[in-house]
Amino acid sequence: MAPVTLKSVTKSYGATSVLHGIDIDITDGEFVVLVGPSGCGKSTLLRMIAGLETITGGAIEIGGRVVNDLEPKDRDIAMVFQNYALYPHMTVATNMGFSLEHRGGSKAEIAERVQWAAGILGLTHLLDRYPRQLSGGQRQRVAMGRAIVRNPQVFLFDEPLSNLDAKLRVVMRGEIKGLHQRLGVTTVYVTHDQVEAMTMADRIVVMNGGRVEQVGAPLDLYDRPANLFVAGFIGSPSMNFIEGELTPAGFKAGNITLPLPPNAPTSGKATYGVRPEHLMLADDGVEAAVRLVEPMGSETQVALSLGEQSISAVFRERIKAQPGTTIRIRPDANAIHLFDATGTRID
Amino acid sequence: MKTDLSPRMKTALYGLMCVLLIPFVFPTWWMITSSVKPISDIFAFPPDLWPRRFDFSTYAQVFELQPFARQYWNSAYIAALVTAGTMVISSMAGYAFARIKFPFSNAIFMVVLLGLLIPSEVTIVPLFQIFLGWGMINTHWPLILVPIFGAPSVFATFVMRQFFIALPNELEEAARVDGLGRFKIFWTIALPLAKPALGAVAIFTFLHSWNLYLEPIVFLSSTQMFTLPQALTHFTDAYGGAMWNIQLAAATMTAVPVLLVFIVAQKQFVEGLAHTGLKG
Amino acid sequence: MSQPLQAPQKPPFWTIARRDAAAGYIFIAPQLIGIITFVLVPLGLVFWYSLHEWNVLAASFNFVGAANYQMLLADPNLPSVLLASAIFSAGLVILNMTLALLLAVLLDQKLKGIVVFRTLFFSPVVVSLVAWTIVWSFLLQNNGGINGLLSTLGIEGPNWLRTPTTAMISVVVVQVFKNVGLNMILFLAALQGVPKELYEAARVDGAGAFKQFRRITLPLISPTILLTSIITIVGSLQVFAQIAVLTQGGPGMTTTVLVYYLYQQAFQFHFFGYGSTLSILLFVIVAVLTFVQWQLRKRIVFYEN
Repeated sequence: MAPVTLKSVTKSYGATSVLHGIDIDITDGEFVVLVGPSGCGKSTLLRMIAGLETITGGAIEIGGRVVNDLEPKDRDIAMVFQNYALYPHMTVATNMGFSLEHRGGSKAEIAERVQWAAGILGLTHLLDRYPRQLSGGQRQRVAMGRAIVRNPQVFLFDEPLSNLDAKLRVVMRGEIKGLHQRLGVTTVYVTHDQVEAMTMADRIVVMNGGRVEQVGAPLDLYDRPANLFVAGFIGSPSMNFIEGELTPAGFKAGNITLPLPPNAPTSGKATYGVRPEHLMLADDGVEAAVRLVEPMGSETQVALSLGEQSISAVFRERIKAQPGTTIRIRPDANAIHLFDATGTRID
Repeated sequence: MKTDLSPRMKTALYGLMCVLLIPFVFPTWWMITSSVKPISDIFAFPPDLWPRRFDFSTYAQVFELQPFARQYWNSAYIAALVTAGTMVISSMAGYAFARIKFPFSNAIFMVVLLGLLIPSEVTIVPLFQIFLGWGMINTHWPLILVPIFGAPSVFATFVMRQFFIALPNELEEAARVDGLGRFKIFWTIALPLAKPALGAVAIFTFLHSWNLYLEPIVFLSSTQMFTLPQALTHFTDAYGGAMWNIQLAAATMTAVPVLLVFIVAQKQFVEGLAHTGLKG
Repeated sequence: MSQPLQAPQKPPFWTIARRDAAAGYIFIAPQLIGIITFVLVPLGLVFWYSLHEWNVLAASFNFVGAANYQMLLADPNLPSVLLASAIFSAGLVILNMTLALLLAVLLDQKLKGIVVFRTLFFSPVVVSLVAWTIVWSFLLQNNGGINGLLSTLGIEGPNWLRTPTTAMISVVVVQVFKNVGLNMILFLAALQGVPKELYEAARVDGAGAFKQFRRITLPLISPTILLTSIITIVGSLQVFAQIAVLTQGGPGMTTTVLVYYLYQQAFQFHFFGYGSTLSILLFVIVAVLTFVQWQLRKRIVFYEN
């Protein structure tokens, strides 16, 4: 177990710069999730920590040691790959013990470690099988087994759940989290799925276009997104954004006025952000035209037109409204977000 | 295309294929059966599909007229060495071209590919001079060294490269994280997974060496050193006329073992070939 | 969060990338050295030799500049040799590709025992080339098996290998049956790689079997067709054993293709200088044909991955 520190890390391929100076401090035993849209550089960053990509500039430290020029094997990390990368010509046991074999462990030691890891992951009865004989979830477990068997300083996960179906993904999410709680190993986990990020992370690093947009605990990002990008990325369905002007009477967008929290600024152009779940049915609210109603059972998602704007809302109650009719809604003034012209949060 | 066919259509297709098969199968069949016919029966009108009389003395004569056992050994050991050598050279080079980043790798690959454009027929004169200078004329060295290191192995390298390009990169990255260096990754991960491609390379290379004809007749002069294809054309009587039945017995002995191996392992042959990466 | 950057440590000379590059060079070294020794140096030498009058028997080796090339252009045999090569290659490629495609389509059908047919059609590929040729040489004799067969049908066959036209046809056909199995398997693999849904979609769109073949199968397997045609053409220019065993280039010079002519000039008549000039000619032809086919791929290949 070790802290991981990234200092002004950059990466470029020739003239193309893909990471523009990344600074992240990961403390010992922390579970950090790198999340962002595809192409944001999160996987590249993870692979740089692993030693699979060279570092163009800056420094990566693991356990206080600069590892820039170390081979992956000398960094004391273990990685779980998106497609698991299980060796197809080796049994589960050989796959799991393979790294120990190359670190000079004795046969008995290796067997003992493999048994231990297999026990934790419920793989004991599968040790003699080949990867092709396993289901997706089992392969996923073997890939994790291979990582934990070595007792590394850091676990790296590269979108490990993206090949599983929705149900299994939820199960494995729990297992990975449970494993982390049990072993307490520093973990860096890459995903494009903000739900995974929210549910698993101690801290989330939101990345976009090769930059870090915000670092924080999951609920902090949800409650206080630092900018428009994070606000739109975290939370599902996404936050509604409405352009308009701050006035003492409230937020004016066209001929609609929306409520503001008591301490909000009272002048200037701004973007008004409100999450779908923070819109309530209210007889004194603004009028919105119903375009589509999607009953989910536990909640109802409704697509609405608010003046010129398209917005979405989620209600706990069952809405009977038909498309073409109107309803009255009101944002929860204490749960709204304001952003200035540069997209930065206004407090 | 693969719709279910009507019974009438099926019969027609079977019939068509059986007719088409004649020129593919009859010569081999005829070679084997004629090799045990007395010479007078070979020219029988109409040709016999099954010998009316058997005469196995042709097989003994093959060994009397030429050092055929020695020639058999020559072909066999040369083909074996060439196959093993090509597998080593081409899997290493193919792997590096597919997987390792090093300066000028593309330019070097282009140079190597020139080997496909320059068949050994083009360079046979200078090759003769080079091996003459090395004192290797009438030895087997040219038949071993040129195929392993020269133009013929380029095709094998190309096949191996195509295979390794398709191998998931993650496997190698996992191996690096597991603590393996390049050589170990190649040996314990890439190569064991490349068995189908290696099989195809082995088959091609063996057949190529086994069939080589121009090079042996250029480089070899004494019957002791001959390889099989060369020896087959030397069964002539004092007047230069072909001794057909003896020649056919020798031809049968040359062809049938390989044919048997093929029939037993035809699946590997055909699938290996189909997966050479030549699908485009 | 951003602490002052540490003084950058001097990176070691053997960085990960450098070590890997070194491994790369080690991996390709044997092949590269081999290509230089047995392909590039000989290619240079063959050009150097082609500038010399060199008779091995007379032990003469004199620089004559382009004289061999002038001799090549004036060689009365050259038109016939080039014609024979062209007829052989064209005949071989057309017959081979057509038959290979036909057989591949047949083998792609849902029929019981298809593997047996596949095995049999492929079997000549593994029969020793000279053995195969010797058998055909016997079958094609005037009193051989084929004329025997024809006579039972009441047809008097020609003396196949001693009549100019039939000699060339014989050489081509013997070679086609020997090696068509290779292309057949490559085509079959390509056919089986065409997604079934495309045929289903075409059937829904109302395309019949022939139209499906022309509009879906052919375009989708065109990369394979191009590649195999390059390999087949280059291979056809290397044909030697078949000619040597079947016709020795005759009757007259009707089946004397370029490689056979080269062999005669260099190793039977010992004109190494002129033989080298012919080698250069062979090289130029192979290079030009490959280049042209490669350029044509944009027009021929309808679809590429």
